[in-house]
Formats: sequence, C-alpha cells, structure tokens
Amino acid sequence: MEMKRNPTNLLLWLMFLSDTVPFTYEKSMREQAIKLMQDTRLIDGHNDFVLRLRIFYQNRLSKVNLREINKTHTNLAKLEAGYVGAQFWSVYVLCSAQNKDAVRLTLEQIDIVKRMCNSYEELELVTTSQGISDSKKIACLIGIEGGHSIDSSLATLRMYYDLGVRYMTLTHSCNTPWSESSSKGIHNFYPSVTGLTAFGQEVVKEMNRLGMLIDLSHTSYSTAKAALHISKAPVIFSHSAAFSVCNHSRNVPDDILQQLKRNRGIIMVTFNADVLACGRKVVNISTLADHFDYIKKIAGPESIGIGGDYDGVERFPEGLEDVSKYPSLIEELLRRGWNEIELKAVLRENFLRVFKEVEKKQRSQGSISKIKESEKEWTELCGFSSLHSNLINTHR
Amino acid sequence: MQASAPHIRARCAAVGVSLPSHPRMRSWGWICSTWLLAAPAAPRCRSLPAATGRIHPTVGDGARAGQCLSFPPQQQQHRWPCCPTAAPPALGVGQPGHGAAGRAGARPPPSTKAGAGSGVAGARSSPARRHTSRKTYCTAATGSSHPSVPGTADTGLIPEQPAAPIPTRGEDRMLRWSVLVLCLLLPCSAQQHLEEAKRIMATTPVIDGHNDLPWQLLKRFNNQLGLPEANLTQLTGTHTNIPKLNTGHVGGQFWSAYVPCETQNKDAVKRTLEQIDVVHRMCELYPETFACVVNSTGIEEAFRNKKVASLIGVEGGHSIDSSLGVLRTFYHLGVRYMTLTHSCNTPWADNWLVDTAEESPVHHGLSSFGKTVVEEMNRLGMMVDLAHVSVDTMKMVLNISKAPVIFSHSSAYSLCPHRRNVPDDVLRMVASKEGLVMVNFYNQYVTCSDKANLSNVADHMDHVKKVAGFQSVGFGGDYDGVTGVPTGLEDVSTYPALVAELLRRNWTEQEVKAALADNLLRVFRKVEEVKMSLQGTAPHEEPIAFKELAGACRTSYGYSDTSGAGPAPLLPAALLLALPLLSTLLS
Repeated sequence: MEMKRNPTNLLLWLMFLSDTVPFTYEKSMREQAIKLMQDTRLIDGHNDFVLRLRIFYQNRLSKVNLREINKTHTNLAKLEAGYVGAQFWSVYVLCSAQNKDAVRLTLEQIDIVKRMCNSYEELELVTTSQGISDSKKIACLIGIEGGHSIDSSLATLRMYYDLGVRYMTLTHSCNTPWSESSSKGIHNFYPSVTGLTAFGQEVVKEMNRLGMLIDLSHTSYSTAKAALHISKAPVIFSHSAAFSVCNHSRNVPDDILQQLKRNRGIIMVTFNADVLACGRKVVNISTLADHFDYIKKIAGPESIGIGGDYDGVERFPEGLEDVSKYPSLIEELLRRGWNEIELKAVLRENFLRVFKEVEKKQRSQGSISKIKESEKEWTELCGFSSLHSNLINTHR
Repeated sequence: MQASAPHIRARCAAVGVSLPSHPRMRSWGWICSTWLLAAPAAPRCRSLPAATGRIHPTVGDGARAGQCLSFPPQQQQHRWPCCPTAAPPALGVGQPGHGAAGRAGARPPPSTKAGAGSGVAGARSSPARRHTSRKTYCTAATGSSHPSVPGTADTGLIPEQPAAPIPTRGEDRMLRWSVLVLCLLLPCSAQQHLEEAKRIMATTPVIDGHNDLPWQLLKRFNNQLGLPEANLTQLTGTHTNIPKLNTGHVGGQFWSAYVPCETQNKDAVKRTLEQIDVVHRMCELYPETFACVVNSTGIEEAFRNKKVASLIGVEGGHSIDSSLGVLRTFYHLGVRYMTLTHSCNTPWADNWLVDTAEESPVHHGLSSFGKTVVEEMNRLGMMVDLAHVSVDTMKMVLNISKAPVIFSHSSAYSLCPHRRNVPDDVLRMVASKEGLVMVNFYNQYVTCSDKANLSNVADHMDHVKKVAGFQSVGFGGDYDGVTGVPTGLEDVSTYPALVAELLRRNWTEQEVKAALADNLLRVFRKVEEVKMSLQGTAPHEEPIAFKELAGACRTSYGYSDTSGAGPAPLLPAALLLALPLLSTLLS
C-alpha cells in the first residue's frame, strides 16, 4: 500500500532489483553448474595430454610433475577444478608413422598412460562402465586415435583391447588401407580408399565383438555412414561438432546426426575453435553452446557428450582455455534453458549408456573364456578397478 | 658296467643306433643291450631297420646289419661331430660309424622341408644359419678350455677302448640265443620305469620351456585357428597337438611368440603381437585343454585342473624394437620370459653367432641399454632367457640379474660343442644363481649331427645335473621349431619315455620331479619375489639413443636429438638444394 503511494521508492526498488537479480541469477547459475558437476562429474571424450608428454619429455614422467605442469591445457589440479571424473587419454601417434613404427609408438603411448595412472593417486585406470561409475578418482581410459595404429592387423587391435584401449578412432588425418579420413591433402596415404573397405568392415565387426567403442571423429562422410550401417553397437564421435553450424570437414552433417540418434550413439562436442567458428574471429563459450543447442534440436539431448580435445589443438574459445573451465560451459547451457536432467546426460549419463550397450553387445557375441590372471597382480601394476570382471568377460 | 654303459651307449648313439618303435621291445632291448655290453663280447651298436622286427640287439651273427656290433678298432675312433680333423674311414650302410662319416665332413645343410619322420614343415629359421660353418663352430671350440669329452683333446676324438677278447662265432651265437630266451622270460624293468614315469607325471607333469607351435600355426594357417585343418585336436604334420600333449603328460608349456630376425627394424613388434594373440586365441578356443596363466600359482592351479598351463615367451629381443614401453606392454599381455636375442644381434645384445666365425661381437655381451632391459625385466617379473645369446651375454646377465635366469631351450656344450649350448663354466654360474637349463632336444644340439636318440638327450640332462645339480635341469624340447628330433622323442607325447630313461639312470623321484616342474616353479616364484621386492621402483624410461638404432622403417618422433642417426628419413638432397631457388623465385 505504501509502495503505491511512493513511486520513487518503487523506482528505487526496481533499480536495485535490476542490478542484484541478474547478479544473483548469475551467481546461482554458476553455483548450480558447479553443484551439478560435483554430483555428476564430467566424462570427457578426448584429451591429447599424453602426446605432449612425448613431445616435451620423451615420455619420461620423472621429468615432470603432472599436478603442476603449466605449459599444457591439462594438469591434475586443473582437471579437479574442472570436475573431470573420467578422461579418455588419446594415445595418438602421427600419421607419418603409418607403415613405419606406428605400432611401437602406440604401445609406448599406452605404456605412459598406464605409468601415469600408477604414479598419481588422483588417477585410476579403468576399462569398464562400472569402473567409471565406481571410481572416486579421475578415472582414466585409453583411446587410440587413428586406425594406422593397428597397422591393418586385427590381432594388434585385439592386443590393444587387452591393454585397456576402449575406443579407436578409425582414422586420423590420413587414410588407412581400409578407411577414409575426412582430411584431404594433408597426407598421401591410400588416396583411392573410400569409406570402409571390406577389411575396414571386418575391423568394425571385430571392434563390436571385442566391446571396443567405434569412434568416427576424423572419418569421412562415407566412412561414418558405412560404420553406422554396419555397427551393431552404438558409436561415438569423441571430439567433433555440428557441420550445419560450421561446415568444417571435421564436423557431422545432419543426416549422420539423425542416424546417430537412431544408433543410440553420442557426439562428444569438441572445443577446437577452428572447427567451431569457421574462421570467425570471436570464438567464445556461446559459439560452442550454439553447437550444443543445434545438436540437441536435431538428435536430442540423449545424443550429446563432451570431448574437449585439450592439448590436441591450439585454439580454444575464450573462457574455455583449459580443462578447469568446463563449469563455464555448463553454466552457459543452464542459461540457455537446459535442465539438470539433460545436463547430467551430457556430462556423463549418455556416455555411460553407450558404453554399457557396447559391453552388452560384446557379451552377447563370441564365446566366453577366462584368462586366469591374478587380479592383485594387475591391480598393483596400474590401479585397475573392475579388472577381474573385465578379464572374465574378455572375448576375442 | 654302469660306468662304461653310458659311455658305450653314447657311442652307440653317435653312430645312429635307434631303438625299435614298439615300447615293449624297446625295454627288452635295453635289458639285453645292458647284459650284452657286460658280456665278454665287445658291445655293438646298430640302428635297427624298421622292417626286420628284430629285437634290439638281435642275436645272430654279429657281422650283419641290425645287430649291435662291436666296433672294429679303426671304427672306435668317432669324431665328435663338430671337429673333423681328418677324413673318417669309409663305412658302409648299416655299419657302425655310418653316422660319424656323415657328420665329419662339410655336409650340405639339410633342407628346410626335411620332414623326415615327423613330417614337420621345416625349422623356422634358416637352417643354413644353423648348419653351415659347422667347422667354424668347432674352430672356435678347438683350443677352448671346454673339452668336449673328459680325456679327449680338442681334436674331439674319444679315447679308444681297449680291445676285448673276441669270442668264436659258435660261442657268440649260443650266447645270444640264451640271452634272447632270458629276455623273453624275464619281466621288463624298462616297462616298469615307464609306468613309474607315468605315475610321477600324473601328479607332476612336465613344464616345457619352449614350443614353436604358434610359428607353425602362422606358417601353415596364417594364424586362422578356425580353419578345419587347424583343429588342434586332430592337427597332423606337427610335433604338437592336443592328444599328444595329453599322452605326453604336458602340464605346462611356454609357447614361443617368435618372429624371424628379418623382421628386425621392420614390423617385428606387430608380428610379435600377432603371435601373442594366437596363443591367447588357442586358450579361448580350447578351454578344456589350455589355461592361459601368467604366474606360478596359475600353473599350479592348471595342474590341479588337469589343463596345460599355457604361458608365453617372446623369442628374441628384436621383438621389442629397443623400446622399454613395448617390453612393459608385452608383460601386460602375459609374456613371462624374453629370450634376449634370437640368431641376430639386437642394438643392445650379442647373439650366439658372435662366438663363431660368422659374426663378430658388437657389444661383447650387453650394451648399457641392454643392462637396462635386464633390470626392467627383473622389475617387471619377466624371466630372462639366455638361449640363443653369446657366452659373454650369458655371463654378463648372470652377473647382473637380480633374479634367477633360464635357458629355455639349450643343451650342454660339453657333450655337443655347438654354440647354442651352454659351456660348463656357465652351467656352474647358473647353479650358483639358482637358475635353470631346459634341455633342448634338437639333434644338432644334442649330438651335433642330424641324428640322435633319447639316450643322447638323457646324457645332456645327466651332464647338467652333474655340473650344475639336479636343481638346474629342465625340459626345453624346442618342438615344432626344429626338423630333426631324436628317435624316441619324435613328438610331445614322448616325455614319459625320457623320464623313464632318467629313472633307469637312477634319478630319484625328487630329482625327476624337479626337472619336470619343480625347478621351473622355483625359478618363477623367485622371479616373482624379486618383482615384489622391487615394487615402488620407478620404471626405466630412458630411451635408447637414436644413433644406436638402424633401419628406415622408423620415425624419430619424440627424440630431440637425432644427431649421428643412421638412415633416418632425410629430405632428398635435390630438394634441399632447390629450396633456396624456390625462395628466390617467390620473393
């Protein structure tokens, strides 16, 4: 009643509220994002930190403190600040090693991931969806980036699986003898290969049988179509974005997004500024969030995850400079009206769903056999969790 | 008699005496031969033609083929196969010494498709490598401090036996008929030994150190285990299949993940992964037979479950391509020994050929990186295998290894001076370090010729036992990795016969069990203990210097210093010269 009689007071109240409510709103958005991520820590699909360890330190862990290293996007402190609960470490080796020593180099990268996980109590190497769920640490998983790492050998693929590799990107920026990359003109390997050859189809089938996730980032349109057609299990794009938002060859066109939805796979949206902004100068969190919005519209929130590609590329959106910044993305998505269920799905649940389905497909194929190994022995080597069940369910 | 009988048996074996295939006849044969050797009639050795069906030895006139004949004086000089100093006397077929005539000269190396008897498709490595330069092996051996037989000089000649009084033809015939009747009537102790061997092996089966079935699977089927002809329950043409393993009481087997030396600096790593994979798939496809295990308790459990404990040994350091990371991942994949070299040097270790005139030493054992490899193997708990390495490498490893080491498939140099074998001083080192020599059955390493028999192999086991103790003896047949295996040991079903022979030679049950399995289990446990004691030690991560590597099939990726590198990929000179021109044109 008094308000009606005093317009000045009313005006003052309105001015006050217009300042504080947005601030309060922002603060609560941030808090909400952090609270959300505390409860639902992120599973990130792709990080090239291990490549940096080779380049800077020749894989000599004794020369570096992973908690504090500051010349990379990634260190353990930043991962914790970013509420990263699980990380796929890419064991990428250069395409120029194809037909040379790619296998050896890949094994060395796998080795350093295992040594890294064994050396730091913050880290824990896992190989199953249950392992991710159970882990109270930063769960480490291994992804191979580029089919050239298997040197066209299904046995090598199987051995990588035994070593803990849980996805393989079918190509990097070069064709393999059996699969086509989206990159043209960077390398000159096998230029006549299109999509997946017959052997490439065998690779996909063997990955299904093993329970290894098929990653279609970096692959050509034909390769992605073929893999989605053949795969009996959901597939992933570990670090890609939407072609319709930015028509970069690394990104995923709408029809494949729709096929991905039917496949019940996910696209883990990448933060690489070059593939987000198509040359625009300003690249920020909003640029990235546009991709999330678009993919949600085409393929649904159940088809989305996060794959930062930190330490794999140079340019990142403003506000997302390193692995501690993930909450800023979640905050932006909250602001755009994403609800908590959708965000939990993006952060973690979608990936776990895909991984579980892939594991289920693995168990439903092939014969069961047990390789008798001491769980304790493996555990002491590298902090495996759920390893025993993994070994029992290992199929070839 | 006992003192001379082994020696005479050795001579019999040296001239290619073989036993009848029927086990009952064979056991009678041993009794008879033992009795006859003690008889005033000088002992004779023969190979029994398969068609005659005669008992070995036969009675009848001793001069005919098929009998165990005494050696005429000029035939008592048998050259040890490696060291011909003069041409042997001409000998006829079926006469004693026939084998010696074959061995003494520079016989051409056998074909890779020998396949005689066993039908095996061929030794995996170039037999030329193994068999040429036999003289040079012996040139190296001659003058060494390792006499091949006690009392012999480096000429390799065995001492002449004093001539025994020769009975008349009639007395001799009567004697042999009497013996034949007795042999037919008396119970056969050889059969008892075989039964005893099987009884022991029922609870203590053999753990064999080296079998190349995976290589055969690659060569014959390109590792396609699903092919009907690759069915291991019916596989023919190999020393190994599942029924034979069962008959042979094989309870543990190190399957060799071997790739040839020609893969070095090329795709050795990938090819080795493929061989490791085929062993894994063997275990998967035949779970009722094979149990892939990775530790000593796993072997024991497999014994209880009556399965073949299946482990993996990588044969040749070239498989790791000088990468400690690769070594570690091999360990993670279940590899539990690595033979440091095959028949080629690695950038960090010398192989056995440097002890011959064929190659010169490069590292005189191990390089600094090679020592790091051994240390890392100790830390991981991977057994170090010294088969195929040079003597310097053997000694260096025995000195530096914190854990006991093995020879997965090597025999005794003293009995057959082949550089794949272990000299006596190294045997003594093995004993002091509580290691293990798993005796190889390959004829060329057993008698240094292309013929041998079960008794010859037993001689090697006796010798290792004598020099290094029974705790240092094991079985490392090398089945399916070689073409010529001894008569009586034609395939993996024959281990009980060898054990029976050891029992006949008065090995105790404890000693036999030690050789069968207990010694290997002891070594393996000790290696695991050393691993536990080194827990917390950081993995070795200093890479090999790039300049120590060769081959164009590698990148220098990750190396900041590739100076002094060998054939690393470089820009063609023409392009280098053209660059200034290009920049001028563009400016």
